[in-house]
Amino acid sequence: MTASPPRTFRALALCLLVAGSAVRGALSPADTPERPSAPREILIPAGAYVPLQRSAKDAPQIPVVAFLLAAEPVTNAEFLAFVTAHPAWRRSRVSALFADSYYLAHWTDDLTPGPQAPADSPVVRVSWFAARAYARSIGQRLPTTAEWELAASAGYTRTDGKNDPDLQRDLYAWLARPVPAILPTVATTRPNLYGARGLHGLVWEWVDDFNTAMVTGESRADSGLDRDLFCGAGAIGAKEMTDYAAFMRQALRSSLQANNTTTSLGFRCARDLAP
Amino acid sequence: MKPILPVFLFAAAACAAATSPPCCAETAAPKKDECCEAMASAPFSKNSVYQADAAFTTDTGAPFKLGALRGRPVILAMFFAACGYACPLTVTDMQAIRAQLPAEVRDRASFVLVSFNVARDTTAALAAYRAQRRLDSAWTLLRGSEDSVRELAALLGVKYKQEADGAFAHSNLITILNPQGEVVHRWPGLKGGIDEAAAAVVAAK
Repeated sequence: MTASPPRTFRALALCLLVAGSAVRGALSPADTPERPSAPREILIPAGAYVPLQRSAKDAPQIPVVAFLLAAEPVTNAEFLAFVTAHPAWRRSRVSALFADSYYLAHWTDDLTPGPQAPADSPVVRVSWFAARAYARSIGQRLPTTAEWELAASAGYTRTDGKNDPDLQRDLYAWLARPVPAILPTVATTRPNLYGARGLHGLVWEWVDDFNTAMVTGESRADSGLDRDLFCGAGAIGAKEMTDYAAFMRQALRSSLQANNTTTSLGFRCARDLAP
Repeated sequence: MKPILPVFLFAAAACAAATSPPCCAETAAPKKDECCEAMASAPFSKNSVYQADAAFTTDTGAPFKLGALRGRPVILAMFFAACGYACPLTVTDMQAIRAQLPAEVRDRASFVLVSFNVARDTTAALAAYRAQRRLDSAWTLLRGSEDSVRELAALLGVKYKQEADGAFAHSNLITILNPQGEVVHRWPGLKGGIDEAAAAVVAAK
């Protein structure tokens, strides 16, 4: 794949992206469906994120310091509390600059999530601006790409999720299933080793630095791109199935503008450990 | 994978319609500070970039909100001072736009550069850049927190990433704002487009 012409690759990537946005479902319901009454945070221990692609100048790993991550994505009920308290983020009032016309479009009205958006299901059709504003409203932030990917790299029972056959099976079953009209609740997904639910198998999630995902070297010169280390190569060559989902996430991030919303894109909050 | 970048970054460059500003439009070259007092207290329009609460600092160390640019056409780009290739060309493009403007528009237009480099582009570094490029008072050089820079980039649709060597990979995007702070024109620089940009500034005045 490293020798394939870029044009071919782009077409393939676009196909993957389109397919990806069309076929999103939930993992099969798992063992313990109890959901904590208050938003819960988990500790993600320090680690390293290996970027999918990097220029030849870049370090192979990005160190990530330990941080706190919400155990679950933000739900409709939680987002309702936010828009109730912050009228500027209600569907009828938000500026097109900060959220496109599909923002919360599946809610019944400004302050009624309604039957398409169950209280305990993840909120979707939210923009990056809205997700960020929510996080700020509770004194938190969105996780970075490196943080999110580190947390999501764990399997159900081990730190290296790519070698966890159960996770891989659930993940690819999810990728192959269409987005349900009504998203299942967060509790239907099985927690990973750190206790995080729904990082895989429920919705895609915004990251704070989504706009670093360029899927290329850089605009000044792209000769620095080390094609041997480029993510898509691995995914397309299917050397390792785990590359595929990560590549989908990268492709999604690179395709988004900050006011975009989709039927399968939600978010969760994070924050620094107290010093 | 490279071709995806222009497709996604630049294809969606929707431009808001330029509306006639409530002030400033008729009289030739009103004094900068008296033209926009009436506007200053009104809320920003629904598509105004100035609604963002991102806070910046100028190269003299003064705090700066983008809303301070309200009332004049703005030609804006993001850059970093140590950039060796695209940014100098972007600044040169902006200077070329300025040279094409009729005098009464040129006198009111603001040229704004906002740095990606939160760590290195201090006020002193920006001041040095101003001196080196001989940028006069029509130019505003800004730095901000990582948060503010990311928010502005998101608003403009600029993607950027710091590389391990400290340089930034970034979109080369020049954006033109009308006096309300609405995006009326944007295009990837380095490939001509000066005439169209100048026309957009004149239309937006």
